[in-house]
Amino acid sequence: MKTVRVWFRKTGTARFISHLDLNRCMARAIHKAKIPLWYTEGFNPHAFLTFALPLSLGISGERESMDMKLEDNALSDAELMERMNAGLPPDIRVYAVTEPVMKPGQITAASYRISLEVENMDAEQAAGRIAELFRSETLVVSKHTKSGWSDFDLAPYLGNIEVSAAKTTVEISSVLPAGSSLNINPTLLTDAVGKYLHLEFYAKIRRTCLYGESQKIFE
Amino acid sequence: MISKTIEKLLSKVQKPGRYVGGELNSVIKSKEDVEIRFAFCFPDIYEVGMSHLGMKILYSQLNTVPYIWCERVFAPWADMEEQMRRCQVPLYALESGDSLADFDIIGFTLQYELSYTNILNMLDLAGVPLKACDRHSLSRLVVAGGPCACNPEPLADFFDLFFIGEGEEVDLEVLALYREFKKKGGTKQNFLQAAAQIPGVYVPSLYTVEYREDGTIREMRPQCGAPKTVKKRLMPDLDKSYFPDRFVVPAIEIVHDRAVAEVLRGCIRGCRFCQAGFLYRPFREKSVDVINKQCFDLCENTGYDEISLSSLSTSDYSDIYGLLDKLHTWTPEQKIGVSLPSLRVDNFSTELMSKIKSVRRSGLTFAPEAGTQRLRDVINKNVTEEELLKTVNTAFAGGWTTIKLYFMIGLPTETMEDVEGIANLGQAVVDAFYSNPDKPKGRSVKVSVSTASFVPKPFTPFQWEPQDTMEMLREKQRHLVRTVKTRKIELSWHDAETSFLEAVFARGDRRLGAVLLKAWENGCKMDGWKDFFSLSKWLEQFRACGIDPEFYANRRRSPDEVLPWDHLDYGVTKSFLIEEWKRARENRTTPNCREKCSACGAACFKGGICVENR
Repeated sequence: MKTVRVWFRKTGTARFISHLDLNRCMARAIHKAKIPLWYTEGFNPHAFLTFALPLSLGISGERESMDMKLEDNALSDAELMERMNAGLPPDIRVYAVTEPVMKPGQITAASYRISLEVENMDAEQAAGRIAELFRSETLVVSKHTKSGWSDFDLAPYLGNIEVSAAKTTVEISSVLPAGSSLNINPTLLTDAVGKYLHLEFYAKIRRTCLYGESQKIFE
Repeated sequence: MISKTIEKLLSKVQKPGRYVGGELNSVIKSKEDVEIRFAFCFPDIYEVGMSHLGMKILYSQLNTVPYIWCERVFAPWADMEEQMRRCQVPLYALESGDSLADFDIIGFTLQYELSYTNILNMLDLAGVPLKACDRHSLSRLVVAGGPCACNPEPLADFFDLFFIGEGEEVDLEVLALYREFKKKGGTKQNFLQAAAQIPGVYVPSLYTVEYREDGTIREMRPQCGAPKTVKKRLMPDLDKSYFPDRFVVPAIEIVHDRAVAEVLRGCIRGCRFCQAGFLYRPFREKSVDVINKQCFDLCENTGYDEISLSSLSTSDYSDIYGLLDKLHTWTPEQKIGVSLPSLRVDNFSTELMSKIKSVRRSGLTFAPEAGTQRLRDVINKNVTEEELLKTVNTAFAGGWTTIKLYFMIGLPTETMEDVEGIANLGQAVVDAFYSNPDKPKGRSVKVSVSTASFVPKPFTPFQWEPQDTMEMLREKQRHLVRTVKTRKIELSWHDAETSFLEAVFARGDRRLGAVLLKAWENGCKMDGWKDFFSLSKWLEQFRACGIDPEFYANRRRSPDEVLPWDHLDYGVTKSFLIEEWKRARENRTTPNCREKCSACGAACFKGGICVENR
């Protein structure tokens, strides 16, 4: 039995597939690919599929990963990739298979690119206003927690944020706490923009990378 | 591919995965390379429509033709509809993202009467004029097929053409004719007249209806050379009939999320309430090898780990053990489960049970349909209490503890005694569990009794019968609740109101088109969903149109009345249905097609059991 880490992109229409549905999609693709999964030997045998960090509905992922346990003497990485891709929707693409280095539990941060198409202001001006907003001493938004909605101050987490204007969009890139202890959904940033600047926009969000302690790239 | 405008709406709706397409095996063609663009529309939400086998068959088949691109369209849920209307996004097809209005042919499948308002809503969402007479060009031809096309009259105002019977051949013939007309720039009117000459095609605008003073039909008169009766189309040899080797695999969970093999069409049984049992005659089976190959291909190409052997009555398949054995040569090793959706009380055995159980256990459901032997004889459900008890005992001994039983209330000649019989039969199953020495130890039994309200349907021996009034149905439901004495029985029932509306439209005529239009204008849609259905709103529309719904639902017809569907021919003769109606009133059963041919008329198709038996 060996564990492999399958790296994939989830973009385009696939970003509208929920985490639960992604799980089923992957399981079906693995089944179709006849990948020799390792099953538990209990009363109700099942396979292990472990996703590094669930992705919210609507957000694309460019470097997502899923771990699976294979029987020994399994097929080559290239073959595994090819067969998986044949069973996945076109907007989910496996692009690498590696041996896991870090555990998903070690993830502490994720980087995001947010592309804002602002409707009621030109991009240059909006970028300036947004950058200024993100420099505020406090930036309180509503965050959904287990015990309901509560106020949450984003300001301490915006030290590394970059805001720039492109042709028609405002580009924001940010590294936010992620993982089991503190997870900040990037939509909180766009919520803040809507709430304080009264801008109307369409946001496209991509998760580009995951990190462990001291900014080490999740591998 | 969906456009950016559409994407922008998706952040504001529930389950956006319904609206994006991009699934494994969906067919993308280039619109420049095709001559006919066909929109296959299912008038309900994605999860429901994507579960429908007929759509999968025709979608794949049409796309095998190089000059046709068939795409899928579903009804949006209310939240998405609101966004689309607010942002003026037309209803679009999932493959190209193009508006429904850009299509040559817009085809609906008619699965249940309560989806009719959704049809109007979908056309309107794309800005397609609702009435056939307001659409003048050859493009945006609106067509339909499916079981409810057996009485399409309530929809006659809105559709240009109906396919009667099975679609595999007639669809392609009509599309080939359409291609000719499109090439030479023919008119819609000329096309429709030519199409009406193709067997199985019904063009409603070519028929005029005259009514009598009492509201019944005097005559349906064909015009412009249209045939007096339109005979359904049928695939006589299912082994040679097209079946897809792959399904579009939805990325979000749908109602029936599995591979589906069609093992047979039709039914040998002849239950007198069952429209499907008459519409799909004669009974035709695929051979074991063909089914096995189709199951194998589907699993290979989709990744599904469950196959459902689908049909009206799969355990009637003559070589069911041979089929299961054949499937078992490869399914367990590939961790694929086989399930039978419909089981009969009288041919369920330990052997069958062990074969379905070997991979994964599915629930056990049986349909005695009526509570007493007398009423089961009336409806020709040839199942006895002894058989049911023997069957559940087999199941209990095999470890099952949950049994579902389906019944109908409001069947013709039903008395309160028959209603009590439902509770008694449920009780007998519970008692059988406790007196079974081989029952699973330390577990309790649960018997789910679910009752639907009987809806008389066209092309059945009960097509002349009145439906019980809603008050009578409710009284029977209350009586059933009073009669059940144990908590081991869990009761559920369909509400009488939706069954009433279903009964109105099932046997309706063209005058209902006005009501349908008005109902849609006043916000009726998704009538099959509890969250939306409002009978009081519907009754308002009937009043406003001066139409009495009870005329359609609760009136006893005389056998010589001209029925709105009399110009359609499904093979089964009216004289046979009248004879069956008579036998029902005499509590007399009719043998099934395998035991003895009852000369229903379906032999005219020269296929299946009608030929094998001679």
